[in-house]
Amino acid sequence: MEEVIKVQQLTKNYDNVTAVDNISLTVEKGTVFGLLGPNGAGKSTTIECILGTKEADEGQVSILGYNPKKHRVKLFQKVGVQFQESDYQPEIKVSELCEETAALYKNPVDWRELCRQFGIGSKIKNPVKSLSGGERQRLFIVLALIPTPEVVFLDELTTGLDAKARRDVWKILSSLKEKGLTVFLTSHFMDEVEALCDKICILKKGKVAFYGTVEQAKVVSGCEKFEDAYLVLSGQEVDEE
Amino acid sequence: MKLFFVLLKNELKLNIRNMNMVIFAVIMPLVVLLILGLLNGTKPASDGVDYTFMEQSFGALCAISICAGGLMGLPLLVSEYRERKILKRFKVTPVSPIKLLVVELVIYIIYCLVSLITLIPMLMIFYKGTIHGSWLAFLGSWLLTMISTLSIGMMVGGIAKDTKIASVIASLLYFPMLIFSGTTLPFEKMPEAMQKIVSMFPLTQGIQLMKATFLGLSVDNIKVPLIVMITVTVLCTGISVKCFKWE
Repeated sequence: MEEVIKVQQLTKNYDNVTAVDNISLTVEKGTVFGLLGPNGAGKSTTIECILGTKEADEGQVSILGYNPKKHRVKLFQKVGVQFQESDYQPEIKVSELCEETAALYKNPVDWRELCRQFGIGSKIKNPVKSLSGGERQRLFIVLALIPTPEVVFLDELTTGLDAKARRDVWKILSSLKEKGLTVFLTSHFMDEVEALCDKICILKKGKVAFYGTVEQAKVVSGCEKFEDAYLVLSGQEVDEE
Repeated sequence: MKLFFVLLKNELKLNIRNMNMVIFAVIMPLVVLLILGLLNGTKPASDGVDYTFMEQSFGALCAISICAGGLMGLPLLVSEYRERKILKRFKVTPVSPIKLLVVELVIYIIYCLVSLITLIPMLMIFYKGTIHGSWLAFLGSWLLTMISTLSIGMMVGGIAKDTKIASVIASLLYFPMLIFSGTTLPFEKMPEAMQKIVSMFPLTQGIQLMKATFLGLSVDNIKVPLIVMITVTVLCTGISVKCFKWE
């Protein structure tokens, strides 16, 4: 299998705190990789160090064979990103934001069609700020998919979505995966992780606490349910009453 | 090229929707023109000269939009995009920061141009103003004044950490220059000591040059304004590109 994302011994310190501590991982082509962990475990920092928006103190990163810092322009033709805190120009409309994003790439997909698939097709003339939280979240997934990416990074992809919208997003991502898309995501919803992820990495205070498949996580932790396994492995086990 | 025009079209639309620049760079110069016109009409600038007060002030009126765009609009916009993490979103796309800065720059050039184009007929129709010097020399000095002022704005916007810092720096530059460089208070009416101090502003140099070329006056030492403005442009452009921060 082709390794699309390769991270070796990534470390990032903030002042005296080590936010990311010696993380190594690989993601193969056409798979979904889930980076999990409680708030503050270092998920977003890890993603940002991988993408080069934050400077890592140590370690090597390669995405599609490129170094994200050195080959930014070439790499981001093929990579879509949805950040946890994305913002947009104050007065911009959905159509304008999509059009502007599509113009940045050589082979953009038809964003109108993508908006329809994600259930915001009727909103394209509206200002982005008038969308509901869930609609905005879906719009930012659309933006990440506009480049016709080979790899897509989705940070907390379905936060704020209702159950139906979440299922719709899963379905679209699964079908894109079948076409060869590689997905790197973070999520707080374990049902989502179970449904989508081929491999997971659980972080605990910046360190890798578990690395493997969902099934392996259940075996290692001795839990039947994945959510329980996650809580055990990430060190957040709730005491039984 | 297509990217450039899509970005330009969208960003210009957003900018107009925001209205700030429409007011400060297009409407305000016209209002100042009308007020100065009400006060001075077609009076000569002083006894024994063949040009009017309004003609003498025309360069300064053209500088209002330059000042608003370069020292307020541009630095605040770029720093706002940084603070709101819009630039961060652009960083994970293939667009180059230079292209983004150029798009924003062109928007403010458009405002300055619109202001110039609306001021000229107003002066000509209402106050019978004409150019006494050469259009070419006047437009050249207008262009230089604009580019040098916008480059200051680009530098401030490019390196200011957030909107707050940008707006402090912008205000420190904008208000003294707007008030004292001859844009609103006529340079000629200031006491001599004050004239000497405000001559150090690059915008003052630009306005004096625009005035001289518009009125067809001889410029004692054209090298000084040219050197001041070109140095400012090269320095500020260099810094803004070299030190550009996405976040």
